[in-house]
Amino acid sequence: MGEAMAADGDVLIASGVGMVFNADSANPVRALGDISFGLRKSEVLAIVGPSGCGKTTLFNIIAGLITPSQGSVSVNGVQVAGAKGHVGYMLQKDMLLPWRSVLDNVTLGLEVRGVSRAESVEIAHRLITSYGLGGFENAKPATLSGGMRQRVAFMRTLAFDPDVILLDEPFSALDFQTRLLLQGEVQRIIRERGKSVILVTHDIGEAITMADRIVVMTNRPATVKCVHTIELSDSERDPVTIRTNPLYNQYFNQIWSELEIRREI
Amino acid sequence: MTIAVPARQRGSLVSPWLLILLGQIALTIGFFGLWEIAIRAQWLPVYLYGQPSGIAGKFVTLIADGSLIQSTLVTGFESLVGFVIGCFFGSVAGLALWLTPRLALVLRPFIVAINGLPKIALAPLIIVWFGIGIESKIAVAAIITFIVSLMTAFSGAQEVDQDLIRLMRSLGATQRQTFVKIVAPATMPWIISGLRLNVGFALIGAVVGEYIAAKQGLGYLVYYAGTLYDLNAVWVGLFALMLLALVLDYAVTLLERWLSW
Repeated sequence: MGEAMAADGDVLIASGVGMVFNADSANPVRALGDISFGLRKSEVLAIVGPSGCGKTTLFNIIAGLITPSQGSVSVNGVQVAGAKGHVGYMLQKDMLLPWRSVLDNVTLGLEVRGVSRAESVEIAHRLITSYGLGGFENAKPATLSGGMRQRVAFMRTLAFDPDVILLDEPFSALDFQTRLLLQGEVQRIIRERGKSVILVTHDIGEAITMADRIVVMTNRPATVKCVHTIELSDSERDPVTIRTNPLYNQYFNQIWSELEIRREI
Repeated sequence: MTIAVPARQRGSLVSPWLLILLGQIALTIGFFGLWEIAIRAQWLPVYLYGQPSGIAGKFVTLIADGSLIQSTLVTGFESLVGFVIGCFFGSVAGLALWLTPRLALVLRPFIVAINGLPKIALAPLIIVWFGIGIESKIAVAAIITFIVSLMTAFSGAQEVDQDLIRLMRSLGATQRQTFVKIVAPATMPWIISGLRLNVGFALIGAVVGEYIAAKQGLGYLVYYAGTLYDLNAVWVGLFALMLLALVLDYAVTLLERWLSW
């Protein structure tokens, strides 16, 4: 069991984040209790929790899309609420623009930031060729498979080099094989580039494969139940072979029991 | 209209395109043939229905004296100019309402009211304002198509995936960037479907304008022939209108190919 509390030098710090919806109405919904954690530099931190525990709300707060009712999230000391572009995110949906080519989808974030066309094309081109989509620069998203599209979405996130990358169930719309493939690939890229990543997922296996630490949330209103440090080396993190590792099963059973998944389904 | 046609099947000797074309020709010949027979056999009275051979004769006469071509050009011009003005300003206004959501809320009931109003009812006013020349027909066509384009562009802009807009916001995009890079291109299919609807509406506008007060145009030709019980001439005018509709629709198809992503 690791400590959840943020420490100095953390890239992202969530302190006392709470969220109440319809606060002024007769029946306010308390989605998040009191959540604090820190994301270390070049670390992958997974957040798992039972369905409906408020993961998406937490995601939106970290991404700066909504302002929490209490507490705050900061990236390198700057509050994310209101500030844009510190956090790059990727969802289950690829959200590629169908009228743009692969290359122009990847450059979107750079364009918004006013990076010159030549420079953004170069950055995008380098990403596309080094991560296995060389030759597809001019293809339209509609002609790509789900896995390829998600890869493009990931490159779009990488291209503008955010301080923190936020992945929200990024592979859950993909078929099992593609999902494992992309888990391996994305985690290799993240580690190669030393990215600081928050992975929000309900897939415990995915969390163990990809994360250095796993934050387990309670049922709503969500709070941090405990934090696990996953002590696996990079070479042990192959999405397929990791399943034969006794440590994997140990983590899996532990986290599963902590999720308080009720048998009402 | 583009109609999806199955790819040529293996082993089939005749291409499906050819079969469809043959079917269309057969339908046309069958229709006019049956009509002609019905008139000649006196199953139908000619003074109520006209007669294909008579229509053909009338067609030749009206071509020869130049009046059919002149009328078609006039109506085509009125529809086209009205269409371009209405579609352009309507689409721009519809998109612009996305940029000013408050104004959109204020205008909403007015837009709905104007949309619900049969625009034809405005024709007398427009004749008074613009006279009985082609300007009034252009105005009727432009007003009808403006409203349609405004509605389609505005609804299209409302339908843009909110997650995309949020993504742009998280990237730090300004409202203008989001509009130019996301909303406008995402709305393009809606705008194009508005254009397609407007081919018909522009013709309605021009022809109805001509019905009410005019000295030229296909609507005038049809209306005038109708008052004289010259049904063959009415039919010539109607077929010319259909042809005009096909031409305009084809032009939109070309535009669509050029604009679509």
